[in-house]
Amino acid sequence: MPWTLLFRNMIGHPVRSTLTVLSVAVALALLCVLDATARGYTAAVDLAAQNRLVVMSQVSLFVPLPLSYQSKIQQVEGVKTTTKFQWFGGEFGDRGGFFAQFGIDAESFESMYPEIGLVEGSFEEFRGERTGCVIGKGLADQFGWAIGDSVPLTTPLFPRGKSGEEAWTFVVRGIYKALRPNFDEQTMFFHFDYLRESLEAGAALGPPGVGTYAIEIDSGVRAETVMTAVDGLFENGPQRVRTTPEAEFNRQFLSMMGNIPLLLRSIGGAVLFAIFFAVLNTMLMAGRERTRDLGIMKALGFKNGYIGAMLVMESMLLILIGSVLGIALAHLLAGIMKPFVSGWAPGFAIDGAVLLNGLAMAAALGLISGLAPGLRAAKILPVRALREDA
Amino acid sequence: MALVPLQYTFGSIWHRRGATLLAVLSIAATVAVLAGMLCLQQGFLRVQTQGGRTDLAVFMRPGANSEGESAFDKVRAQIVLKETPELATDDNGAPLASAEMFLAVSLPKADGGKTNVPMRGVQPMTFAIHGDDLKIIEGRNFTPGTDEVIVGAATQGRIANCNVDDELEVNMTKFRVVGVFQARGSHNSEIWGDVDRMRQALKFEHYNRIIGVLKPGVTAKQVHDRLIVHPRAPAKVVDEKTYLESQTGMLSGMLGVMGGFLAFLMGIGAIFTGTNAMLSLVASRTHEIGILLATGFRPWAIFVSFLLEAALLGLGGGIVGCILVLPLNGMQTGTTNFETFTDIAFAFQFTPTVLVTALVTALLLGVIGGAFPAFRASRLTPTQALRRS
Repeated sequence: MPWTLLFRNMIGHPVRSTLTVLSVAVALALLCVLDATARGYTAAVDLAAQNRLVVMSQVSLFVPLPLSYQSKIQQVEGVKTTTKFQWFGGEFGDRGGFFAQFGIDAESFESMYPEIGLVEGSFEEFRGERTGCVIGKGLADQFGWAIGDSVPLTTPLFPRGKSGEEAWTFVVRGIYKALRPNFDEQTMFFHFDYLRESLEAGAALGPPGVGTYAIEIDSGVRAETVMTAVDGLFENGPQRVRTTPEAEFNRQFLSMMGNIPLLLRSIGGAVLFAIFFAVLNTMLMAGRERTRDLGIMKALGFKNGYIGAMLVMESMLLILIGSVLGIALAHLLAGIMKPFVSGWAPGFAIDGAVLLNGLAMAAALGLISGLAPGLRAAKILPVRALREDA
Repeated sequence: MALVPLQYTFGSIWHRRGATLLAVLSIAATVAVLAGMLCLQQGFLRVQTQGGRTDLAVFMRPGANSEGESAFDKVRAQIVLKETPELATDDNGAPLASAEMFLAVSLPKADGGKTNVPMRGVQPMTFAIHGDDLKIIEGRNFTPGTDEVIVGAATQGRIANCNVDDELEVNMTKFRVVGVFQARGSHNSEIWGDVDRMRQALKFEHYNRIIGVLKPGVTAKQVHDRLIVHPRAPAKVVDEKTYLESQTGMLSGMLGVMGGFLAFLMGIGAIFTGTNAMLSLVASRTHEIGILLATGFRPWAIFVSFLLEAALLGLGGGIVGCILVLPLNGMQTGTTNFETFTDIAFAFQFTPTVLVTALVTALLLGVIGGAFPAFRASRLTPTQALRRS
């Protein structure tokens, strides 16, 4: 390949080449973050723990289960340990301070969720403080919270104080990183008992009971056996339950959001078209303007295939440079999007699979858009090419 | 002060239709994504806020933002129902008010998966409150005090087990579907039955909210100001229109932000493509520009002419983009309204707002993309331009 000529041609039209490279970069970055969102969205299902089950009301996620259920579930054969999960619905400040908070059982939580790895503070300190909480690294970064900081939250689900607008205060005792991408780093875990005691003391209003229980089963025990046994316990009420594997629970939760993968795929398709038009446009222009040059090369004896391949190479080169920039831009975008997306797409990350997918599509587009002018250039007769004034 | 004739602009576009087509399509792809997202948002807004009444008051627990969060125990509910003189009454002097229960019930979708369907327990007075806004279109209404329910028209085909004579099992009680109703807006996605039977089935002690028709001349604000400080049954009061609008913020905002974000990034790409196409047009017409300048057209006229051409390309892209999403208009879809965590059915709506936003965006993309090439064209000197072939 005449690399010097390829570079010269590219540099010969600095504005055009730059614009094409930039539009490839923007489009590829967009494609990557869309793909990362779609993949991150299913991570909670794909990477769910095999040995954990979720117990919820058979009717609705919004029907609280009696607290008395926990000790009964604990006695089912094959159940190793359990924890409560209570959605809190709290908000920090007035705007944009919404993130997920769950009340849990601090005693069992640590061993049940090994993917939650504390990077600061410790579970001992968390357990030792009634109003303590463990927050994700993402939250710590977003709000600038550190160990020992107080986090005031208000929630319409559990209005506190006479006005109902008094804040609940939590103290950060641990900051976690998700060791596997099925968990996001935008969640806060606190002592369910703090919530329960406040309700019982009349300091706050709200439904008694708990949203869901999570179960860890003994190794070697069939999940189906435990699920049937737990469901059977409460067949006669007061609240019937449905026990599902964690993956199934996550899948159902996500399916409520509608067909997000389809939406993302449709948008991705439009983005692909946009890159295609951008590169095709440039390459057609480049091919047309260089008709004369190509005619000279042909007259000098360069083969048709060689000339066609040269234009394809030029298009691939533009794509390659655009892709490098695009990958950098994708990381930048992902950083901005992460706090907004990772709540429902916990595995959201620009990883190898995402990059490979994006690059493969970009390369395919470069090839196709280089072929259009390449084929034309290969076919054109030298005499006609030389006659044509560019 | 002569402008370059419009025929020249149109002629040029036609002459280089191949290259311009690509620029047009690239703008069209951007506009299509933006318009598609806006159609979703508009459809959702229309269903959710359709015909919200200002004379219908919604009573909730202070601090609650939606009915799911609100709760009134039996005593407080009775106080609101019986001791609110601002409420209109029926012919027998009974207040036109109804305590309701609301719960997102997990039910299987017709096409697989599960979703949260809003189940609403109502009191008989509800039908007097809604009047002609609610019609039974199949079967009959439920009999108060029984385990019968009626389902909204929008559940048909979307939610499994929602046909007349189907049974819906809620906890340990089987409710029988006896009719299908057509109502305003989001009520169409709901399941309605007797409030006390539903509360019993779920072992709920509380009601969620109370609705009531206000006497003429009374505003929800006046009632709110009195009740928010009520010693025995404090309540927050808003009119139905305000309530419905407050339930749209998150999803509507999300769709808007997503559409805007995507359109912004794709728009940058489209501007680059547009600039490229226009630059090549300018380059290929350098000679003509020289002639125009030599015959006395001012540089600004050249600038305007090329900018106009770019604007036309943008507009063309906008029109193509709109045509691409037009088939979506009326298409039924649904998603979860995150404010209430329930499923809501709505259709893509290609409204004038969508059209105007799409066309204005397309025009802007064209003009921004054309600005630099047009500037470059206007900076040429006649001798320079004529010499270059």
